[in-house]
Amino acid sequence: MSIPKPGSGKACILITEEADGSVYRLQDEVSLLRASLAGETAAWGEIVSRYKDAVFGLCLGFLRNRADAEDLTHDAFIRAYNNLRRYHLDKRFSTWIFTVAANLCRNRLRYRRNHPVVEQPIHLAGGTDPASIVAGEARQKQVQEALSNLPYGYRAPLVLRFYNDLSYREIGEILAIPEGTVKTRIHRGKAMLKDRIAKDVMQHETG
Amino acid sequence: MKPDEMERLLRDTLGREVAAAAYRLEGLEERVISELGDRLPRQRFVDWLSGLVAPTRAGRAGQLAVLGATAALFLVVGSLITQDRPLGPSMEPSLASRANHEILFVVPALDAENVVVVGDFNAWEATPLADENEDGIWTASIPLPPGRYEYAFVIDGRWWGQDPLADEYVRTFGQYSSVRYVGEGGDGA
Repeated sequence: MSIPKPGSGKACILITEEADGSVYRLQDEVSLLRASLAGETAAWGEIVSRYKDAVFGLCLGFLRNRADAEDLTHDAFIRAYNNLRRYHLDKRFSTWIFTVAANLCRNRLRYRRNHPVVEQPIHLAGGTDPASIVAGEARQKQVQEALSNLPYGYRAPLVLRFYNDLSYREIGEILAIPEGTVKTRIHRGKAMLKDRIAKDVMQHETG
Repeated sequence: MKPDEMERLLRDTLGREVAAAAYRLEGLEERVISELGDRLPRQRFVDWLSGLVAPTRAGRAGQLAVLGATAALFLVVGSLITQDRPLGPSMEPSLASRANHEILFVVPALDAENVVVVGDFNAWEATPLADENEDGIWTASIPLPPGRYEYAFVIDGRWWGQDPLADEYVRTFGQYSSVRYVGEGGDGA
C-alpha cells in the first residue's frame, strides 16, 4: 500500500511508527473520509481495512456463497469510493457502506435467480478441542443450512442484527423497511430457524 | 431451545463462517487501491452545477445577462424563421382563424315536445333546441371553433342522424350521424 510520507505535500493520514516498532493508527474516521474525498486512495485503503470483515460478513450472510461475497465486498468499496460525495459526514459511515453492500447483494441475488450456480457448503473454522468440535459442529451445520434456506427477507435482518450488531433502526435504514417490520422479521426469522432445526433433528432421529 | 441460545448460535455460526473465509480478504486494500488508481470520487450533479455558477455577485449578474441575451436572441431568430412560413395542414392555425363560428342547427319537427342536438362538440350530451315561434322549426346556435364535428338530433327520444344541412354522413354502430366542417373550407352552415 502506498502511504504518503510526512512532508510529502499530502496529509500524513495513516500511521506513525513508534520507537519500539509498534504501529498505531491515529486518524479518526472523518479525517480518513475527508482525505479520501480529496482523492487520497491510501486513506480509503485504511477504511477498507477497518470495514472489510464487517462488509464481507454481511455479503456472506446475505448471499451464502464465498466467491460472490468476496466479489461484492471488493465492488462495495469501489462503488462507495466512487459515490463518496453522496455520503454525509455527519451520519454513521458503517450504515452507509452496509447499505451499498446490501444493495449490491440484492442485485446479485436477483441475478442468481436467473443464473443459478451449484452452491458449495460453507465450511466453518474449526475449534481445537475435539469434544467441542463434535458437540458444536453438528448444531452449527444445522443453523447454517436453516439460514441458507431462509427467505432473503428474513435472513438479511438476522445477519445485520447478529453478525453486524446493528440496531433495529439502522437495519431498517439499510434494508429500506420500517423499524417495526425489522423487529417482526427478526422475531419470525428466529422462529423459522428454530422450526427448521427441530424438523432436521426429528428427521435424523427417525431416519 | 431457549431464545438466547438461538441468538448465540447465530452469532457464533456467522462469526465462524467469516473467520473460515477470512483468507479471501487478504490484500483487499491493495486490490481496491490499485483499481481506483488516481481516480477521484465522482462529482455530484448539483456540485457540478454549482461549480458553473460564478463565485461573486458581479460574476453571477454577468452570467445572468449573457443567459438572458442568448434567450432573447433565440426568441428573435425563432420568430423570424416562423413568421413567413405558410401554415401547413398539421400546424396550429393563427388565433384569428381559431375564433368561434356561430353554427346554426335547424331541424323541422312538427308536434315534437323535446328536441336536442348531441355531438362530439358537447361530448354527446344534450344541447336543447328551441321552437320560439311554435312553427315546428327548432333551432340552436352554438359557437364552435374550426374543425370537423359529428352530431345528430334527438327528437322526443328518437335518433335523427341525417341533417339535410350536413356536409356528409357517417354510419357508426348501425346508425347515421351528420358531419359539419366549420371554418377553413366551410363555415358549416
